[in-house]
Amino acid sequence: MKKTLFFLLACCFLTGMAHAQDTVKIGLMAPLTGSFASEGAEMKQVLELLAADLNAKGGLLGKKVELIVDDDGSDARTAALAAQRLTTKGVVAVIGTYGSSVTEASQTIFNEARIVQIANGSTAIRLSEKNLKYFFRTCPRDDEQGKVAVDAIVKTKAKKVAILHDNSTYAKGLADEVKAPLEKKGIKVVFFDALTPKQSDYTAVLTKMKGAGPELVFFTGYYSEAGLLLKQAKQMNWKVPFMGGDATYNTDLVKLAGKEAVTGFSFVMPPLPKYLPSKQAKAFLAAFKKKYGSEPSSPYSVLAGDGFRVVAAAIAQAKTTDADKLAGYLKTQFKDKDALTGTISFNAKGDRVGDVYRYFKFDSRGEIALQK
Amino acid sequence: MEEFFQQLTNGLAVGSIYALIALGYTMVYGVLKLINFAHGDLFTIGAYLGMTLLASFALHETIGPFLGLVVLALMVMGLVAVLGAIVERTAYRPLRESPRLSAVVSALGASIFLQNAVMLIYGARFQVYPEGLVPETSVDLFGLYVPVVRILVLFVSLALMAGLYAFIQKTRIGTAIRAAAIDQDAARLMGIDVNRVILLVFLIGPALGGAAGLLVGMQYGQINFTMGWTYGMKAFTAAILGGIGNIPGAMLGGILLGVIEALGSAYISIAWKDAIAFFVLILILIVRPTGLLGERVADKI
Amino acid sequence: MRNKSLYIYGVIFAALAVAPLFLNPYWVDVLNNVGLYAILGLSLNLIVGHAGLFNLGHAAFFAVGAYTAAILNTQFAIPVLWLLPVCALAAGLFAAVIARPIIHLRGDYLCIVTIGVGEILRIALTNDIFGVTGGPNGIFGISRPTVFGYVIRRPHEFYYLIGAFLMITIFLFHRLENSRFGRAVNYLREDETAAEGSGIDTSHYKLAVFVLGAAWAGMAGDIFAAKMTIIAPESFSFWESVVMFAIVILGGSGSIPGVLLGAVLFVGLPEAFRDFADARMLIFGAAMVVMMIVRTEGILPQRPRLYPLPGPGGAGGKP
Repeated sequence: MKKTLFFLLACCFLTGMAHAQDTVKIGLMAPLTGSFASEGAEMKQVLELLAADLNAKGGLLGKKVELIVDDDGSDARTAALAAQRLTTKGVVAVIGTYGSSVTEASQTIFNEARIVQIANGSTAIRLSEKNLKYFFRTCPRDDEQGKVAVDAIVKTKAKKVAILHDNSTYAKGLADEVKAPLEKKGIKVVFFDALTPKQSDYTAVLTKMKGAGPELVFFTGYYSEAGLLLKQAKQMNWKVPFMGGDATYNTDLVKLAGKEAVTGFSFVMPPLPKYLPSKQAKAFLAAFKKKYGSEPSSPYSVLAGDGFRVVAAAIAQAKTTDADKLAGYLKTQFKDKDALTGTISFNAKGDRVGDVYRYFKFDSRGEIALQK
Repeated sequence: MEEFFQQLTNGLAVGSIYALIALGYTMVYGVLKLINFAHGDLFTIGAYLGMTLLASFALHETIGPFLGLVVLALMVMGLVAVLGAIVERTAYRPLRESPRLSAVVSALGASIFLQNAVMLIYGARFQVYPEGLVPETSVDLFGLYVPVVRILVLFVSLALMAGLYAFIQKTRIGTAIRAAAIDQDAARLMGIDVNRVILLVFLIGPALGGAAGLLVGMQYGQINFTMGWTYGMKAFTAAILGGIGNIPGAMLGGILLGVIEALGSAYISIAWKDAIAFFVLILILIVRPTGLLGERVADKI
Repeated sequence: MRNKSLYIYGVIFAALAVAPLFLNPYWVDVLNNVGLYAILGLSLNLIVGHAGLFNLGHAAFFAVGAYTAAILNTQFAIPVLWLLPVCALAAGLFAAVIARPIIHLRGDYLCIVTIGVGEILRIALTNDIFGVTGGPNGIFGISRPTVFGYVIRRPHEFYYLIGAFLMITIFLFHRLENSRFGRAVNYLREDETAAEGSGIDTSHYKLAVFVLGAAWAGMAGDIFAAKMTIIAPESFSFWESVVMFAIVILGGSGSIPGVLLGAVLFVGLPEAFRDFADARMLIFGAAMVVMMIVRTEGILPQRPRLYPLPGPGGAGGKP
């Protein structure tokens, strides 16, 4: 049994070696199973679309682009293995991934293997504070989002705010980023706690929050819980305004909460292509709709798409797949390029520069509108 | 005080669903001494089937909301029951004579299989029940706002539980189930077809689980493929809390667990809610090692 | 018979010893995971396989070890490998404290309590208990282990570290199995009442085996922390306990080769199914059921003990 297994392992290795480098391989590490499987599925769709498009236009450096997708299972240990696997497949760059702690488990592996990594959903601050040469991200950091959220909260003139997170790395980070500045501005945080995600009944949480008497509830978790909170707050007849972080938005949110409950819900988010004037955004949206029948539902899959476009542009411009040259190009020469989510430049840490976040609000038709 | 009663109703609503699912665990355990880990996923499938049937037949629109939902519930319960029996046939029956823990691993495998099957069929996104199925309003009960749908769900689950209890206690088949739970060999000698009893248990348990899935779908509106894992774990905890194998125990355990969770998050901490629930469970088991209503089983000599 | 199996094991050992020379880092890392889960499986095998205690919360002890290592390493800069005994002690102590009041619970009640302990611990870690666990972020920046000044960094270097630890584990547990302790524990699994009647202090033995298994998982936690350099509560979820439990039962409860094979299958198969992308766990679940049905006692079950009859001249006769 073990011998056959060993033999199989050896075969895998040999076939892996036999592949000649006749394509430019770009990796995608995405959560295809586990709790964020829906995000991963869409990331894969976006990248497959963009890769096919690029190949139709002749590929990169005269070669076809080959997308190599691997599952990070929404979990750190699986991600470390997925990263090891991608490094052995000869990828020149990797897009991904979604969760911050999941990305963290893969960072050193890609860095040691000299592969450019462009994360699309990992907003935790510390990821880019470790001086990793090949790490970039197309999503802004939590502190960036925190600033925009604090401004938005101040504008609502609420004096007492409840902050609710879900104890995930991302949600807790954003909640912390918002809490301190609010208190500095004299706004009282009357409630600060975490709900347990993946459940269907949050009435106990809502009842307790209601008891604290906030004038605004800021929820930093994910959209499925946001939908339930809005719906159940309405059923309870509690008419407090809710505001959310960028993970609370998904095109499904209206369906999850119902049109009535979602009216007046506001959130900060990098804009979906729909809300951007650029030609690329419009063309991408049309192509995506044509191929998959609906618009992309999450901003993060589009940010993964931006990651892919950044890599493709860098390879085409720098005329190489060498990681050092690519990273150098991205940090120094790649400035204000048009992307699906606005313009992109990177700073020396690999973080995206510029204000990406916008403030949106739902109207009574269940449509979102950009707020000034 | 008002907040206390509000939290109590919150707990009751969640607890009644736990209780309904816990019945499936406890019945199977009673007869086979097997923890059916796939039960939570049958609950999920009930929720998804309900959504599909609603979308494809729209019965509540053609034959009236009340009758439509009753027919829908019966269809869901029937389909999930059949699926439960299939799971028993394929994953558990071949292991009936083998070590008990082997069957547990087979159950875990079946659970992983079903969960991923749902994901592949329906996709990993959250799915949504059609709007306007149940009234969205709340009633004012002595100053407490209670959504109508909650009262409905509470009554339906209580009715199902009462029906099951009467069935087990008063009918001949129910007596046979109880006999098989006490001693399979003796029951066989008394002329009871134990295989049929087991089949029956695997029809009734999943049917109730499927009904619970439908209720969750209608009440909360959103379902996803991993919900069976969370609800299943809670329901299993509830079954143990009440004394596994004991039908009134599962009901009591479920409702108690819901109330503990609600009051725990109200007066201690929301983030520690699940930890509080498990902590209370452990305390109860230290005092009463076989759960609240479980009978003390003497060791064989 | 004995010589033949020794020969087979020798070949496997030799093949595994040189494996990293032929494999790419990914497959070496897969083997590292196999090794780590083999150690965890063997430690749980003491509790589940030998003593028959239904423990579905083994990840808790793994977590205690990993967090002990992470906290002491990042706060006081103590080298991770020195912390091995400390981690064992911490996990063992934790197990002793929680097991004492619950060890007498019957099978499935014990099961839910161990699940509960695992969940309580995970929630406590997530909520940053005592302010030292880093909350949902976990702890990062754990240093790499060093052996005689040589830093262990790459997968194939970890391979030999984990391999050595696994070999020691196998050797010690094999000796333990055939000791007085091992026999007593097996007896109480087969028939607790009879064991008690024969003068075996059952709760003492149960507790001892529970603590030993937990301590070993704590040491595995130390190595895990050193390998990942970052640990977070989600790495110690209920699912991890399920995997460890299934490795023991599927491989063959109470049998060391069985548990090793179980670890290969459980960690290796999902990797081998990666090409099925999102369907890989579906196939994996089905495979679990099928394997359990085909080999109801596990793939390589524990063989009954055979003791040679004292024959004429003291030579062992055939049993």
